[in-house]
Amino acid sequence: MTAEIIVVTSGKGGVGKTTTSASLATGLAMAGKKVAVIDFDVGLRNLDLIMGCERRVVYDFVNVVHGEATLKQSLIKDKRHENLFVLAASQTRDKDALTQEGVEKVLEGLSEDGFDYVVCDSPAGIEKGAHLAMYFADHAVVVVNPEVSSVRDSDRILGLLASKTRRAERGEKPVTQHLLLTRYNPARVAIGEMLSVKDVEEILGISVVGVIPESENVLTASNNGIPVIVDSNSLAGQAYSDTVARILGEERPLRFIDVPKKGFLQRVFGG
Amino acid sequence: MNAKAETSDACDLRFGQVGIACVRVRRVDAAALCEELERRVRAAPAMFARAAVVLDLSHLLNLPDDGAVDALLEAVRTAGMLPVGLAYGTSETEALAKRMGLPLIAKFRAAYEPAAGGPAPADEPAPSGKAKSRESAPAEPDLREPILSASAAGTSIGAQHHLGAVRSGQQIYARDRDLIVTGAVANGAEVIADGHIHIYGSLRGRAMAGAQGDEKARIYISDFRAELVAIAGQYRVFEQIPDDLKGQSVQCWLDGEKLLIAKL
Repeated sequence: MTAEIIVVTSGKGGVGKTTTSASLATGLAMAGKKVAVIDFDVGLRNLDLIMGCERRVVYDFVNVVHGEATLKQSLIKDKRHENLFVLAASQTRDKDALTQEGVEKVLEGLSEDGFDYVVCDSPAGIEKGAHLAMYFADHAVVVVNPEVSSVRDSDRILGLLASKTRRAERGEKPVTQHLLLTRYNPARVAIGEMLSVKDVEEILGISVVGVIPESENVLTASNNGIPVIVDSNSLAGQAYSDTVARILGEERPLRFIDVPKKGFLQRVFGG
Repeated sequence: MNAKAETSDACDLRFGQVGIACVRVRRVDAAALCEELERRVRAAPAMFARAAVVLDLSHLLNLPDDGAVDALLEAVRTAGMLPVGLAYGTSETEALAKRMGLPLIAKFRAAYEPAAGGPAPADEPAPSGKAKSRESAPAEPDLREPILSASAAGTSIGAQHHLGAVRSGQQIYARDRDLIVTGAVANGAEVIADGHIHIYGSLRGRAMAGAQGDEKARIYISDFRAELVAIAGQYRVFEQIPDDLKGQSVQCWLDGEKLLIAKL
């Protein structure tokens, strides 16, 4: 049984890749899977912060790639879920410290250790780090914000997934693409300030696997080192739970894509 | 792993696309050329002063001799522009460019080579707009680039199909044939064909038909939202898509030097 490799990518920076990686990995772990999440953003290490394990990083991804540490030494066990592990990026190196052979070795090692899923948190851009993060992927979660530059960059990434991955080069079944719309604000969509789900789907030609509403909880959760999916009271957390379920094959209707109905008093006084 | 990303090379060598003006010479008359270009530079100095230009001699019936080309280049310089090369080469132009020590700038250079130096096909259309500026008929074979799509009957090599979307940053080129795209062409994507182009999704990027100069090439689009369409080098960019065309199915064709677009 080999591990399924999921890359979380976007092209554009700041759209929520790391937030999504953390919640996706946690969600899969909550569903009982054995999961590793790897930070490919060497030099701009963030995932460990969002996962709340930054003070426990001893060895990192680059150490394993270079054979300076074993996988076992570098995998950091999550404090909430015992079947979830984090492999942090190195803050003191750059993306050239990664090699294709090294990354392949790490992914094979995780497969042998019985991991069900490996989530690869891609850096922004389309350079080496992003290339290596997507190269071995079986699934891709393309994170997109409802604005034109993010949509354009995602389009570029979708093109690369179809041509620059191992599956594409070997002529195997293409990487399964999942489009995840984040920072969605139905109120701003309604007044035409943001692209709608339909707009984005139309431009990119694929349907969304989830829509994460813009929410203050995301920032709070990130600052506290808790993946937002753990916060089951927040809308963003619930939306991530839905998304993980859909990626695992469950069918769930999209939520939080319409403007919440105002109560009677709000309508009277204009809320 | 043959696709290993190697980033330690001393440099990257890439073909990029740069905006470069093309001076299409219609008569070998250095003084008239200088005067005409000077007028353009005066009219839009920010755009044309010290602009890099390539000299396109392909519309002359006969390639001028070295002295005449030197005079033309000097005329461009005098007018305030900087000639950086020759455009659209046959093997003659290439030899000339070598003698001049100038690069030959052409998008698909090899494809411009006429077959075994033979004359252009007899059924080649003579664009009316250019007939006036031609000198009297020469005895030598016509050296202009052959129009490849006008090949003899029965030699059709069909069309190139692209299934699904063309994503931003991708470029599809159908050499010597038509191109059929069944999906959308995204912003920042480019589809190019030497023949016609058919797009059955939306066109948000660029489409260039008749890339080797076939003025009869057309572009058919189911959902028009293009950044740019071009036929045989005549192009139109759309900073704003006209309301009556946006989202419509349209066709684009060339009428003389004018690129026309109309709803289907």
